[in-house]
Amino acid sequence: MRQQYAIRSLFLIFCFALAGLGILAQMIRIQSSEQASVFLSQGDLYAGEFRTFYPERGLIYDRNGYLLAGNRTVYEVGVNLSDLNDPESVAYNLSVYLGLTYDEVYNRLTDFPDTWRYVVIQDYVDADVVASLQELIQQMKNVGDRRLNGIAFHPHFQRSYPEDALASNVLGFVARDGRGYFGIEEKYNDLLAGNPVQVWVPSDPNKATEIPRVPNGTDLALTINRDLQARVESILDDSLVQYGAANGAIVVMDPRNGEILAMATTPRMDLNNYNAYFSLYDNGSQYNRVVNMAYEPGSVLKILTMAAAIDNGTVVPQTTFLDTGSIQIGGAVVWNWNRDSWGLQDMTGCLQHSLNVCMTWLSTQMGPSVFYGYMERFGLGRRTGIDLADEALGRLKTPGDSDWYIVDLGTNAFGQGVSVTAMQMLMASSAFANDGKMVTPHVLYSMLRDGHQYNVPSQYGGSPISAQTARTLNNMLANSLEAEASSALLPGYRVAGKTGTAQIPTDYGYDPSKTNASFIGWGPVDDPQFMIYIWLQQPTSSPWSSETAAPVFSKVAEQTVILLNIPPDNVRLALSSK
Amino acid sequence: MQVTQIIHAYKQAPWRVQRQYTGAFLLIVIGVAMIAALYLMVSARAAITGREIQSLRDEITVTRRINADLEARIGDLTSTSAMQQRARQLNYRPVLPGELEYLAVPNFFVPEPAILLAAQDATEFERIVPPEYTQSLIEWFDERIRLGGAQ
Repeated sequence: MRQQYAIRSLFLIFCFALAGLGILAQMIRIQSSEQASVFLSQGDLYAGEFRTFYPERGLIYDRNGYLLAGNRTVYEVGVNLSDLNDPESVAYNLSVYLGLTYDEVYNRLTDFPDTWRYVVIQDYVDADVVASLQELIQQMKNVGDRRLNGIAFHPHFQRSYPEDALASNVLGFVARDGRGYFGIEEKYNDLLAGNPVQVWVPSDPNKATEIPRVPNGTDLALTINRDLQARVESILDDSLVQYGAANGAIVVMDPRNGEILAMATTPRMDLNNYNAYFSLYDNGSQYNRVVNMAYEPGSVLKILTMAAAIDNGTVVPQTTFLDTGSIQIGGAVVWNWNRDSWGLQDMTGCLQHSLNVCMTWLSTQMGPSVFYGYMERFGLGRRTGIDLADEALGRLKTPGDSDWYIVDLGTNAFGQGVSVTAMQMLMASSAFANDGKMVTPHVLYSMLRDGHQYNVPSQYGGSPISAQTARTLNNMLANSLEAEASSALLPGYRVAGKTGTAQIPTDYGYDPSKTNASFIGWGPVDDPQFMIYIWLQQPTSSPWSSETAAPVFSKVAEQTVILLNIPPDNVRLALSSK
Repeated sequence: MQVTQIIHAYKQAPWRVQRQYTGAFLLIVIGVAMIAALYLMVSARAAITGREIQSLRDEITVTRRINADLEARIGDLTSTSAMQQRARQLNYRPVLPGELEYLAVPNFFVPEPAILLAAQDATEFERIVPPEYTQSLIEWFDERIRLGGAQ
């Protein structure tokens, strides 16, 4: 009896062992079969997915905390093909809500490769549209209607510019590829964009891992004063109409630290519709004329020549010059702007009447090495280092260059044959308002990251002239404006400045009918707190800067002192003496 | 003969031996079952917590998105054009230079904008997370040994 049980037990053990071995053999066979890799890859499809987590792009504020560039949610609308019940209904509703044709949507839903599990119907769909669509889907689900099953919404950020076109030339824009173009958006793209993180997200709950923290891009606060920027842009637009100018630019800078308070150029574009770029601009240099475009500035450059001559000791303000209306240099004759002779003039008179002949005389008295040495120390032909994308270099021909001639020594002294950007002129002139020290212009005020604030310190760009020369030039320029009762004057404030009218060079020489009208000025003279550059391209009401750019300076200065709380000189001096 | 009897006297009954084997086997089975149950419970809790963390992460993402949208909305509402329009509706106009009066206010400093004041130390959060949430068992043992039982 006992032996009989033993045989039965052994038989059962044998059967179970055989079944186990069979299962084991089958497992090994499947694992090592040709189809094993196919099974594994099919398994991997559902094991999880690689997800890229994009950080929120850093915000951009003006110096007072107003938002200039933010982010808003938009949606990618697609269809999960495995959940799709009724392609006709889905195609119809999506075409109605997304403004597409029925055939377009239907074809995408029915004509796709076998491996696809999801198709994108439209991206960058507004949240309002998605909300309406989601409401419709929910209503249908509530009554048990599953015809719209499969529609999926994936939210993501899109750059948003609440001020539309305001400061567009400074900000630049972000295209759909997520990259910044022009201005701050391009210059600080890496900081603003942050670092995307790609992680494997398993479907198996046991393998659930913590998703790494994806820090947002760095927020930036700019030196721009939004209200002043708006006023300056408005004045620029009005001035183009008033003086019939083709384009223009205005910059307001704090000469003490190089902070750009406002920077306006034309044309400007609505940054929320960056596709307009291609219809507004022929090339990238037009995007921000202040930084990206060099031009011959004309007589505004005379202040640098005069500063060099005084600093070098070639002349003093009281030095006299007998102006005969023309001067010969390098086999060419240089004339005054009106071809008149102005007789005996001191150096202030040379600036006041903007005498080309006097400036040519000064540069020849200094000689090429001294004159060009000063021009290079003023930063001409060198980028200022402003933190905006694609800064133009300008051109300062110097002795030794193949295209430099003796006559250039004369013409360069009054701003002809030399090209600069408005920003280079501002940086060079900041030496006059800052006791001989040039400041490096900048637009970034502060970086905000992980709760920490990193302020951008002011940087000096060299001292081309002495403090004494700077003060002397300040007074000479202020006196010359007052002596001619310039339309640049601002009642209550003593300002210094210089006009510049320059013919525009073409392939066939200078075009006598077209000019660039410029003005650079600053104030208050005894404690400069603002420096303004005006550039009007091809004004038609008058070619002269004194009749176009100078009054624009006065208007901008008026708004600047109001918005920056700079009291009139007498009030300021009275308050400071208390 | 006597020796055989003694051995026989001390040999356990077969049923007792079987019971001991069965008991030992059951003990192993129960032990394995307990370990398996413990493992299952711990791994299930870990999985649930993992999912909760993912869910909370998703909530953070959604909240951040809502915040960004609200900030953009505030930006729209306080934009220059919107503010100018509201000012005009309220019969305001830009001030003229002659209408301004300046006063000296002792010890007055222009306040910093809110975005700069709002900058806080983000590492505060990491400091308040107790070590139980970040320490491995080995690290905990290591710490205990190094501290020598002292708190």
